[in-house]
This record gives sequence, structure tokens and C-alpha cells, in this order.
Amino acid sequence: MGSRGGAKVLQLSRASRMRTKLQTALEASVLEIEDVSHQHAGHAAMRANANNKDGETHFNLKVVSPKFEGQSLVKRHRMVYDALADELQSGLHALSIVAKTPQEIGPK
Amino acid sequence: MSRPLSKLLFKGISGFPAACSSKIVSGSFYQNGMRYSTSVPNDSDTHDDFKPANKFDGSGLSLKELVEQDVKDNPVMLYMKGVPEVPQCGFSSLAVRVLKQYAVPLSARNILEDPELKTAVKAFSHWPTFPQIFIKGEFIGGSDIILNMHQSGELKEKLKDIAVNQEKSA
Repeated sequence: MGSRGGAKVLQLSRASRMRTKLQTALEASVLEIEDVSHQHAGHAAMRANANNKDGETHFNLKVVSPKFEGQSLVKRHRMVYDALADELQSGLHALSIVAKTPQEIGPK
Repeated sequence: MSRPLSKLLFKGISGFPAACSSKIVSGSFYQNGMRYSTSVPNDSDTHDDFKPANKFDGSGLSLKELVEQDVKDNPVMLYMKGVPEVPQCGFSSLAVRVLKQYAVPLSARNILEDPELKTAVKAFSHWPTFPQIFIKGEFIGGSDIILNMHQSGELKEKLKDIAVNQEKSA
């Protein structure tokens, strides 16, 4: 981290920022982040916002976290949204979220 | 007034890529016992049927109160992009498609037409994205959650009494 210059940090993609934030907040054992912004390129809201022309607005997420245990789906999604609040403020537009506990994906 | 607007709308839609153009074909929308309202401006050309159920111009309601009333008065309330027959994003389209599997009245507002309403709904639910679904006053979530509940059978259970009530009153 120490050797990384300021300019370089700015170039980090949203996907990699999301990865760091989700990893920190949720201690995820599985974390898949797929940028599907291209599928939404002609979206009314996307055309209206010049900040979004580089994509990185729509993502599919798969998060497996022990912190989801005992939590409803709404609560799990809220935890993901909370971790990504800054990104949602700055042009992240939509997430498709699969939120599971380690038990739920474990071998049956 | 309404003619050029609808032309524009269709032009816009035809230009959408696959993910946001999944139009819902529904000739039998009203026959299914569904109704919806949108925040269409009070255009004098607009037929009464297409005006919002709760007008907020001059009603003295704040947008927060309007949302509160929406979710209280409508057993299934959907805040979405576009209208149920022509959703303007894949996620809103998915939510409508799921809810249409059930014989329940569906009420919806188009948040694309009113940025202030959009902000008010987000603040009300503390949820950052659309669509947002409320059932019997309870915030349910977005399209991922409604699809999940549909697949698990939880949604059927939740909507059971609404569907029954609908039959009784019909």
C-alpha cells in the first residue's frame, strides 16, 4: 500500500473499490463481482449522466458471508448497500445481489 | 402534447439494448384485476383512468406522506422505472413479471417521471435502488428479493390473503 502513489489510487476501478469495501465490511469467504454495465448502456438514466459513460454502473454480486447468518434477505441486501454507500452516491446505479451464508452454499 | 411525447418515448425504447428493453406484453392487464397509477402530469388530454390515484398537486400531502399513504392504501405497491406494461429497466420488468404471477391488485408509480418522488421513496425505505416493492405496508425489497421469495414460495404465502380478498370483493 505504502508505495502506491495518490494518482494510482484514483485509477482504481469501482469494482476493486467495491471488493475492498465488501471484504472489509462483510468478511466474505466468496466474493464475485461482475460488471454488467454494458447491458445497460442505453438505459435512460445512464444516458442522462455523463459521469457514467465509462460504465461501472451495474454489477452482479455474489457474496458469501458468515455475517448473513440469521438475517433476512432484506437485511442482507441492506448490509451490502451500507458497505457500498459511497459508491451508490457516486454513480453506482444497480446491483443484482446473491447473498448467502457459508452453510447455505455448503455441501448438502 | 401527448402525441410527440409518446413518439419520443417509443423512439427511446426502441433504442434500448436487451437488458433494458424487456417490454412486458400485456393485452389483458386490466382483465387480470390489476390496476396501476403513475405520476403522469395532469395533462388535460390524459384520460381520468390514467391519472394517479393519489394526486399530490394541491392535495396538501408532502411526498413523504404520499408514500406513506401509497403503501398503506395499496396492498401491493411498486415504485419502478416506467409503467407496468412498459418497464424501462430490466429489474423493474422482472419485478412486474414476478408479481403478475399472482392474482393480486398491483399499484405502481413511475419514479423516472418525478425525481423528487424518487428521493422521497429512497428516504422512506432507506433503500438506494429501484424497483422497490411494498406488500401490505411492509417493505419487501427489490427485484432480487421478490424473485427469491417467488421461488421459495414465501411470496405466495404473503399474498394469499390479498388474493382471497380480491375474489370476495369481485
